[in-house]
Amino acid sequence: MADGALLEARSLGKSYGALRVLHNISFDVRRGEVLGVLGPNGAGKTTLFNLVSGDTKTDEGDLFLDGQTLVGQPPYRRCRMGIGRTYQIPRPYVGLTTFENLLVAASFGSGSSEAECYGRCAEILRGCELGGKANRLAGSLTLLDRKRLELARALASGPKLLLLDEIAGGLTDEEGKDLVALIRRIRANGVTIIWIEHVLHALLAVADRMMVLNFGEKIAEGVPDEVIKDPEVRRVYMGIEA
Amino acid sequence: MTETVAINSDGPGIVRVQRQTTSGFVAMALGTSMIAAIGSMPWWASQGQIRDVVELCCYIAVAAMWNLLAGYAGLVSVGQQAFVGVAAYAMFVMAQLWGVNPFFAVILAVSAPALLAIPTYALLHRLDGPYFAIGTWVIAEVMRLATSIFAYVNAGAGMSLRVMTGYSADQRAMGVSFLCAFMLLVTVGGSYLLLRSRYGLALTAVRDNPVAAASQGVNVGRLRFLIWMAAAVGTGLAGAVYFLAQLRITPPSAYDPNWASIAIFVVMVGGLGSLEGVIIGALIYFFADRWFGEYGAIYLVVLGLLTLFMAIFARGGVWGVICKIVDAPWFPTRRTLLEDKP
Repeated sequence: MADGALLEARSLGKSYGALRVLHNISFDVRRGEVLGVLGPNGAGKTTLFNLVSGDTKTDEGDLFLDGQTLVGQPPYRRCRMGIGRTYQIPRPYVGLTTFENLLVAASFGSGSSEAECYGRCAEILRGCELGGKANRLAGSLTLLDRKRLELARALASGPKLLLLDEIAGGLTDEEGKDLVALIRRIRANGVTIIWIEHVLHALLAVADRMMVLNFGEKIAEGVPDEVIKDPEVRRVYMGIEA
Repeated sequence: MTETVAINSDGPGIVRVQRQTTSGFVAMALGTSMIAAIGSMPWWASQGQIRDVVELCCYIAVAAMWNLLAGYAGLVSVGQQAFVGVAAYAMFVMAQLWGVNPFFAVILAVSAPALLAIPTYALLHRLDGPYFAIGTWVIAEVMRLATSIFAYVNAGAGMSLRVMTGYSADQRAMGVSFLCAFMLLVTVGGSYLLLRSRYGLALTAVRDNPVAAASQGVNVGRLRFLIWMAAAVGTGLAGAVYFLAQLRITPPSAYDPNWASIAIFVVMVGGLGSLEGVIIGALIYFFADRWFGEYGAIYLVVLGLLTLFMAIFARGGVWGVICKIVDAPWFPTRRTLLEDKP
């Protein structure tokens, strides 16, 4: 096990029939860092998250969290092992209130009794700017609040590793700044984060390292400044000829 | 009204969460009196009234179980009669052939649907939506056919519960009434306890988004199996009570697809995914059957049209319409965070 690595991915691969979505992806996520993931649409970013969270079965390769293998574990068990995730298109439980949405994740994801989770869930709601909306049905929330709920719910499960899938899309500059501040606070609390994001300035403001995918392959990995200057990344992701 | 107080030492201090409402307290008091009244029917009701109440309670029980399946676990079954029949037959076999006390046999008989639930779920759990529904129907038909050639239970000719002649009319009325009250307590009370618990939250989460629920620690497969099992037991209990009062059973009556139709009508018209809807729907069906049953085919057509009408124009059923007018749940399951400040 690499020293300090919370998540290790080794030669991950995923295909749907003849379509190869991910090929030979290896990377480490160090404890306490924010790893930014960049890539054009269809690069395989969300599929990578699905492999880590267990929503999609891995075809090739291995995944380890804290040295324990993840391949073969169902999503609910991976959540209990410490993986929390958000979905790019929010998936709220529309028949439950915002507060109850968090209680599901808190009591099943972290294994505490329901009443033990009340205080923590209320605090997370306030931290994610959903205070005052705790008793609203999740189905009645605006898109922005649904995105906040995704993040709040993932936090409620008490993750060691948090997977954020494009949560900054559609935010104003001011809201983006608040989000960056929130993610910094989450990291300061010891949570390791992988963040897929197209809003580059938000990602650059937090990420310790970056990884870039294109057509299912890793084309760059390293410190943000260097990755952004990489001619291949500039060509593929920003459409700038080097 | 505040029932639960949680204290979290690291920061947020005391958080108060309200679980009960005034309407819930009133409904609970009324419900408890109703169950007591049903249990004590021999002291105040006629034989005919007891028979009617037993029938109504069986509708409520079967529909409450179907509501758990379809309204929460997302398992739309049209073959719940398999569990009605297998429990009723188990009760007849225990009481008539093995000499077990028939009232006690009703309780023991729920082991049969519980056992049937395991292999049937193993067969059905990979199926989704309409395929699952057809699978449940096939299983019920197979059970009916298998029973009608099974000589031990007198095959297609059926069985009579002759051991009941050993009990006086009063004893029978007492036994049936007590079992009926017990059945409501188990099915409606049990559903309510389940829905109020954190498993109720998980069930709603699974209904709304099973993928997200799984990624937040909910073991969706196991939860669905447990609901399938619980619904089998509750439905079986209703079957055993119903046929204890009938005294006679045949394969077509035991595995009558009408049980599924009644459950679907009751839940769709009353309100899918609510216990209040189950009770309202069962009352509507019961009185419609009493008042309009004599019109035969036309009556059935009207019931069908009513179900269709509700499905198209009022998805939440009668209870859904009531909820839009007044917020007073009989079975509150919400967790309201008090003093929720931005």
